[in-house]
Amino acid sequence: MTLPARSRPTRSASFAATAEEHLDDVYAYLVYLTRDRSLAEDLAADTFEKALRTWRRFDASRGSARTWLCQIARTTALDWFRAEERRRRREERAAEPEAVDGGLSPGLSPELEAALRELSAGEREVIALRVLLELDGDEAARVLGISPTAVSTRLSRALKKLEEKVTVHV
Amino acid sequence: MSEPLLNEIRATKPAAPPALHERVRAIAAQEPAREPFLARLEWRRLVLVAPATLAVALVAGTVIGLTRDDVGVGGGDQAVSSAPVAESRDAATPETTFQGTAPPAAGAVEPSPGRLQRYDAELSLRVDDVEDLSRATQQAMRIARSLGGHVAAVSYDSTPGGAGSAQLTLRVPVARATDAVEQLSGLGTILGQRYGIQDLQPTVDDLGRQITETEQRIARLVRQLASTSLVDDERAALQIQLDEARRQLAELRKLLSGTRAEGALATIHLSLTTEDVQATPGGDSRIDDVKDVLAWEAIALLYVLVVAGPLVLLGLLVWLAFRLHRRRENARLLDQP
Repeated sequence: MTLPARSRPTRSASFAATAEEHLDDVYAYLVYLTRDRSLAEDLAADTFEKALRTWRRFDASRGSARTWLCQIARTTALDWFRAEERRRRREERAAEPEAVDGGLSPGLSPELEAALRELSAGEREVIALRVLLELDGDEAARVLGISPTAVSTRLSRALKKLEEKVTVHV
Repeated sequence: MSEPLLNEIRATKPAAPPALHERVRAIAAQEPAREPFLARLEWRRLVLVAPATLAVALVAGTVIGLTRDDVGVGGGDQAVSSAPVAESRDAATPETTFQGTAPPAAGAVEPSPGRLQRYDAELSLRVDDVEDLSRATQQAMRIARSLGGHVAAVSYDSTPGGAGSAQLTLRVPVARATDAVEQLSGLGTILGQRYGIQDLQPTVDDLGRQITETEQRIARLVRQLASTSLVDDERAALQIQLDEARRQLAELRKLLSGTRAEGALATIHLSLTTEDVQATPGGDSRIDDVKDVLAWEAIALLYVLVVAGPLVLLGLLVWLAFRLHRRRENARLLDQP
């Protein structure tokens, strides 16, 4: 699998321009992570609010703006997962699956959509980063906080599992 | 995995809806708020601050060490330090002392003319050999006598061709004490000296007042005893009071006499030795002071490390445990669909 290289924005770009440039990527990543487009919208907005507060600390020499935004998006999503889990426990509805808002993406085939939904959030996440956003191994590793080798392993397993599930649904 | 599936995923990448674009544009339009001070602290900045702090501590230690008040000025051939110290035992009898190894500034510890003062001096000198020791001892006694004083005590100890020492206690009139010290200082190399002046005038004045009062009381008692109207018991009681007053008067006069004698003659303790006692040069003293200040800074730093170290370590362990727990929790959350 070959992934095209992306240009690396510099710190000199304004926050507004950076946000506009990477909003689709952050949103797509969050959709895959949460399986919920409505939730992904809220989390994306939260992500950019947090990013704005820490924009002064962003250092382009340590990673691209997209990687930095994806890291913030991931933390935001995980915080939401944690809060949601606590809420479910409190309301003793942990066993009940939450209704999700629409599909992952309108153009996806039903088999692929179903297969993606059956993957774990972690598996969808690595597919989103490496396939959808086309981050390279180092960038994805930085977002996930693991080594590039671990990213490759995780991606390989996720894609294999996805293929198996697509086959089942076909 | 088949390329068509990957292409399908790429081709159907979710795009942010226009409403989200608007929300993010509204967020981005806000001017970034200034972060709190702690949020702006970065490890890289701290790494720069640490050497700067160390440099400031070293410079401050050096400056403080070099400019401390108790560091004196080297004097003459002795090239030694001195440390003038002023203190008082009480308000009525203030005492001035001078310690050091260089002669005091002219007039700095001279007795005040017209006031009764106790003058004490200690002088330590080094002489070259036993012959010089004998000569200096004789000369010191001659100096005391030439100034109208006397030798109160002498102790001389030496071995032929070897080391020796002598201790002299000289009494000279207070008015000539400074001359005596100056002349005695020339007998050898000064190793150390101490001067002390205690003002006895308030004590003398007080004793004089008490004597006058007691004399007046005695005169009154004598007049009462001369009366013929006294009964035997009254006469006996007055006689007892008179005897007691006379006894007190005698004691007060004795005290006054002793105090005046104290103030009349200065006491000079002179130590002479052939031992090569190393005087501390002024330059080394300054370096020592710098070392002292730096040592105190190091002690303070060590103290902070000892006190704060366990807390920092505990904080680090808590932070690591929290981080590990967080990673495990994240992995569990992401393991769910």
